[in-house]
Amino acid sequence: MSRSGANWFTILPAAVAVVAPGPAAATAYLTIPAAQQALFPGARFVEHPLTLSDFQRKAIARAAGAAGYDKVQRVWEVRSGNSRAGWFIVDRVIGKHDFITYALALGADGTVRGVEILDYRETYGGEIRNPNWRRQFVGKTPGSTLRLDGDIKNISGATLSSRHVTDGVRRLLVTYRMLLANA
Amino acid sequence: MNFRAIALPAFMGLSALATPAYADEQYFGYTYSAELLGKGQTEAEFWATDRRGKAEGHFDAQDYRLELEHGVTNRFSVAGYANLASHHIRNNDERIDRDFALRGLSAEFKYQVLSPFKDGLGLTLYAEPAWSRIHGGGEKGTELELEFKALVQKNFLDDRLIWAANLTFEPEWEKEREEVSPGVIESEWKKELKLEVSSGLTYRVANGWYAGVEGRYASVYPDWTHGLHREASAVFAGPVVHYGGKKWWATLSYQPQLFGSPSPTGGRELDEYEKRELRLKLGFNF
Repeated sequence: MSRSGANWFTILPAAVAVVAPGPAAATAYLTIPAAQQALFPGARFVEHPLTLSDFQRKAIARAAGAAGYDKVQRVWEVRSGNSRAGWFIVDRVIGKHDFITYALALGADGTVRGVEILDYRETYGGEIRNPNWRRQFVGKTPGSTLRLDGDIKNISGATLSSRHVTDGVRRLLVTYRMLLANA
Repeated sequence: MNFRAIALPAFMGLSALATPAYADEQYFGYTYSAELLGKGQTEAEFWATDRRGKAEGHFDAQDYRLELEHGVTNRFSVAGYANLASHHIRNNDERIDRDFALRGLSAEFKYQVLSPFKDGLGLTLYAEPAWSRIHGGGEKGTELELEFKALVQKNFLDDRLIWAANLTFEPEWEKEREEVSPGVIESEWKKELKLEVSSGLTYRVANGWYAGVEGRYASVYPDWTHGLHREASAVFAGPVVHYGGKKWWATLSYQPQLFGSPSPTGGRELDEYEKRELRLKLGFNF
């Protein structure tokens, strides 16, 4: 190898290693308890982890048109007094480089009460935290279409993140219909 | 001009200024993705390509590109870059030893017709006018190029498997000087067309990490406006690794020539093309 080629091909990766930051760290916006109180103020939460069989995961993916990543879905039953107030589900979807963790609040009838972004590891695309964008999900039901550029508006410059969160909420609504609605 | 003294500190300074971002990541060394910078986003890129090996003698060349790209809208981006080159050639006909010479300047315009994230298939149109003063083979000479590409990208498996393909149409005008009689030099512009098809497939093996393969077919047609007669062609293929972090990305691609034509030695074309290429790309968004 020539003098110059050897120098540049060895110096540059070293230079990058020096000036570049390490792996992306998650930006935690909300803890799970904080999200729970934001979406169901004053309610009690009883955790019921949902262990999904391969058959169930495939059925949900087929019905929703989007696959999930976790075999155990973190689900809380929300209690208000002696009655069920709804469901609180934590899920993650793929981001540009890492996972996006979010929480979905459903009323007792499966209607969406809210979506909260818990942590986000990208820089651009963080517009999915915008309350106006997340508000689009409120009132959606397991029968809603939930398609980007359909009943959910896209965020230009954050298309991948907004599509994956939309796909994730649609998948959780299918999960509710199949496994929680009659629980 | 000592480019090494200027370029490295400048590049490192630029890197230090970079703030967190991602966009327009290039998953492959030679095949562009159809992704684009968002409106208002700016990216600095550095490319280093090592080309090595001819039929006889010694040949190694390094091409360097310093690029600044800006998203004008969410569908349109512009870029400008300086191209530098080093050549070390020793054979019976010539001997060239040149380090970090300014090879030329280029501009780049990209327009995204379809987004790979929401339209099913991504399609971006690319145009790159360029001026250069040193040929790829190391000889000095003015060259004007106009490169057009169609960039196609299809994502599978929830965007974890990425396929991209490029079709390149690149007419060139090369100024040739010839001594027609003692002391009388005439120059004329010679036309050449380069056609290239490239494609790559890469998979997200871990958060931020992609591993895949890419290949390309490159060909050259001299005086192409008077009929397409291929002078040379070659097929390259090899592995590619990509890392995309929160603040920067890097791609390393190795491309040995598998076969070419004409090929008097060993099935490879080693006049226009080299035995192998290695390319490192670094991108910083700010």
